[in-house]
Amino acid sequence: MVRGRCVRIRTHPIIDFPKRKQLSFCFQKKRLVGEEGDTIASALHAAGIRTLTTSLKYDNPRGFFCGIGKCSSCLMRVNGIPNVRICIAPLKEGICVEMQDKLARLPVAEFFGEPTKTLDFDVLVVGAGPAGLCAALESASRNAPVLLVDENQCLGGQLVKQTHKFFGSREERAGTRGIDIAKDLECELHRLQREGKIQVMTDATVIGYYESKNRHRFGVVKRCEYKSRLYDVRCKAVILACGAMENMLLFPGNDLPGVYGAGAVQTLMNVYGVKPGDRVLMVGAGNVGLIVSYQLLQAGIMVDRVVEAAPVIGGYHVHAAKLRRCGVPIFTSHSIKEVYGDEKVEGAIVVKLDEQWKPVKGSEEDVPCDTICLAVGLTPSTRLLSQIGVDLEFIPEAGGYVALHDESMQTSVRGVYVAGDASGIEEASTAMIEGKIAGLAAAMQLGRIRKKNLLVQYQNQLSQLRAGPFGEKPRIAKEKIAKHVEIGHV
Amino acid sequence: MKRKSDVVIIGGGVNGCSIAYNLAKKGLDVVLFEKNYLAAGATGACGAGIRQQWSTRENALLAIQSVKIFERLNRILGQDIEFRQGGYLIAVHDSQGMEQAKKNVTMQRSLGLKVNILQPEEIPKVAAILDVNGMRVIGATFCPTDGHANPFKTTFAYAHAARNYGAEINTHTSVVGLKVAGKAIRTVVTDKGTIHTDVVVNAAGIDSKEIAKMAKVNLPLKPFRKEIMATERLAPLFEAMVISFKDGIYFSQQKEGQIVGGIPIPEETEGYKTMPTFAFLQHMSQTLTRYAPVLKHVNLLRHWTGFYDVTPDARPILGVVKDVKGFIQCNGFSGHGFMISPMVSKLLTDLIAEGKTSEVLESLSLDRFKGKVTEKELSVVG
Repeated sequence: MVRGRCVRIRTHPIIDFPKRKQLSFCFQKKRLVGEEGDTIASALHAAGIRTLTTSLKYDNPRGFFCGIGKCSSCLMRVNGIPNVRICIAPLKEGICVEMQDKLARLPVAEFFGEPTKTLDFDVLVVGAGPAGLCAALESASRNAPVLLVDENQCLGGQLVKQTHKFFGSREERAGTRGIDIAKDLECELHRLQREGKIQVMTDATVIGYYESKNRHRFGVVKRCEYKSRLYDVRCKAVILACGAMENMLLFPGNDLPGVYGAGAVQTLMNVYGVKPGDRVLMVGAGNVGLIVSYQLLQAGIMVDRVVEAAPVIGGYHVHAAKLRRCGVPIFTSHSIKEVYGDEKVEGAIVVKLDEQWKPVKGSEEDVPCDTICLAVGLTPSTRLLSQIGVDLEFIPEAGGYVALHDESMQTSVRGVYVAGDASGIEEASTAMIEGKIAGLAAAMQLGRIRKKNLLVQYQNQLSQLRAGPFGEKPRIAKEKIAKHVEIGHV
Repeated sequence: MKRKSDVVIIGGGVNGCSIAYNLAKKGLDVVLFEKNYLAAGATGACGAGIRQQWSTRENALLAIQSVKIFERLNRILGQDIEFRQGGYLIAVHDSQGMEQAKKNVTMQRSLGLKVNILQPEEIPKVAAILDVNGMRVIGATFCPTDGHANPFKTTFAYAHAARNYGAEINTHTSVVGLKVAGKAIRTVVTDKGTIHTDVVVNAAGIDSKEIAKMAKVNLPLKPFRKEIMATERLAPLFEAMVISFKDGIYFSQQKEGQIVGGIPIPEETEGYKTMPTFAFLQHMSQTLTRYAPVLKHVNLLRHWTGFYDVTPDARPILGVVKDVKGFIQCNGFSGHGFMISPMVSKLLTDLIAEGKTSEVLESLSLDRFKGKVTEKELSVVG
């Protein structure tokens, strides 16, 4: 990619990317220009900057990887503040962005900490993606006051980049695009917010769970440059909808700038209208790999091929067929052997796998590309659950360690609920129903409502969504999860 | 798992593993049981500090000799344990504290330790981030050869070297019973089988009390939850460990750049509690930033708890017990087990392998609690 060349997407079949107000900022003492609504990462990428940091141990150049604030590969100094995750930090006029010389130095400016504030709610919802939003709406509309906390500037989680139409039943808005569902949910949320039933805290992190006699107690940090505030949050029930994080693959060169998680690629192009690269090699032919490949084509980006280590395509065939019609080959029983490039991705060596998933000698093929997109599965974000002390179990079908939970999404600790990918990797439609179940169950536990029928109705919807061959994996996962759970009375 | 051995060690913390290493090196047949993973208890939760500035002579001696071993430990064990000697700066806040500090320094110097008494204006020369006014100090003591090391790496290095000398280390194996006959240890029962032995070392941290009960020995140990935190990684800011006996705070910057430190919460009581508290979060951040205001900019990344196994005089219980032959104690460290482990394990090895006792072991035996008042260790933080 030639530096300075326009990588902004201006025409797109689904999303409108109007030219927005230009914001100028400083990067390594050079003046660059981004657009209003950018994150620092998207603005830098649009300006052709791919190397953001160097690795601590080997001094390798590093770009961002997850693009959604879950990894630590994009830490930079912003206005003197060290270790800022620039993939979720908004671009502002006149800010100064610097690469850290390995470990961060502290700023000279004075820090004005705001005094700790105590908040008391019926329900705390952590994460404002599809599961968290639905949980918050459900609890709040049953008159249980809700505090909704999210790390990002905007609500919707991963929905805000899902331009494809959802499958499933009409109740679950099949046929509607993820981005539109996010708008609808946000609209509903604002209504409840105006009625005083929900308080929303964005750009805030739930940092820990603390000892408490009869309620649950969390620490929340709301970020605000030199004026961050610590909140002491007490609640009767908590719904953890913290989502998941992208898996990484092991191969030489996997830390080169240009090796991105599928979520990062999708965020760059569908949320910020920035092309992740010009020629992409997609790794993984599950639904995420297939859908993101098609979305890359929609954004006018060349997808060289999709490689999939398994002998069969994992995602829906309708998605695979769409890709093939556009001339993108999908190679099953193929994987990535290594990625090469000086400072950034310049190509990859792809190799055929035999029946034992071992590389076939002599089958190596050199694929020139500037972006590697990894769509090789997700791992549930369970760290907060683990710290609370709920029973976790390693369930491969669920994506790794997950919190055991019952049919009402309650974990082994009373009043602690889980929903969405954090409860086992699935997709947005099921996440939304799980959120509703958790939100309703929490309100029922607090005595705000007695609608067992509605809970059963939601549970039936969930089973219907999981019916059919593609629901097999989550069905197995959820059966294992339900078999082991024992709700305590902590 | 072996059915018979010369010595069984209960507990895979730094003390258990270093004893296993020293005994195996002497050619003894050693089997170690750890109910969890190595360094899963107090060792892995600890603040990593290595201090020689104590109020009691025994602790000072153990620590001074331990530092001499720590200085060579990378070479001895063949692994980097990240030992660094940035010194310990002990804040002194009032005349009473200064009186005690001077007494301590006199005793420490008599043992050959190099310790200085600093004026307030000399403190920032040791650690520039410190704010003397915020610390509310009238002075400090500083020992440049104090320092810190990585407790995990130290334990793993000892365990690795012990295995090389033939020790058998069993993790995830719980001791569920001790069989005593004729006033002597005979058998150790675990959840994975039994083993015959004449010597058992009880190095199980706070669980040592339960282990001792299995041999009908009562240890005067009390569990205290201790909280500790680590910040994000930063470029090097200071080298010394900074502590205060009055405020209870301690903090240092580790090799990877994170600041690790702790403080007791004002209302803490004894008990087997493990959940972190919000009070610690507030108390620690307020005190830490009073000492070093620039740290207000730093994010706390982790916060965890561990146990101090506290004895009535805050000094460890080491060596033989009167009623059960072959039952060796190595517990009650009251928060200081890591820093004196190299010397403790040497002394206990001499005792077990050669029957050699020492003045320090005699004065730290369980018997000292019988009837008389013992000299209390005053230099305690956390």
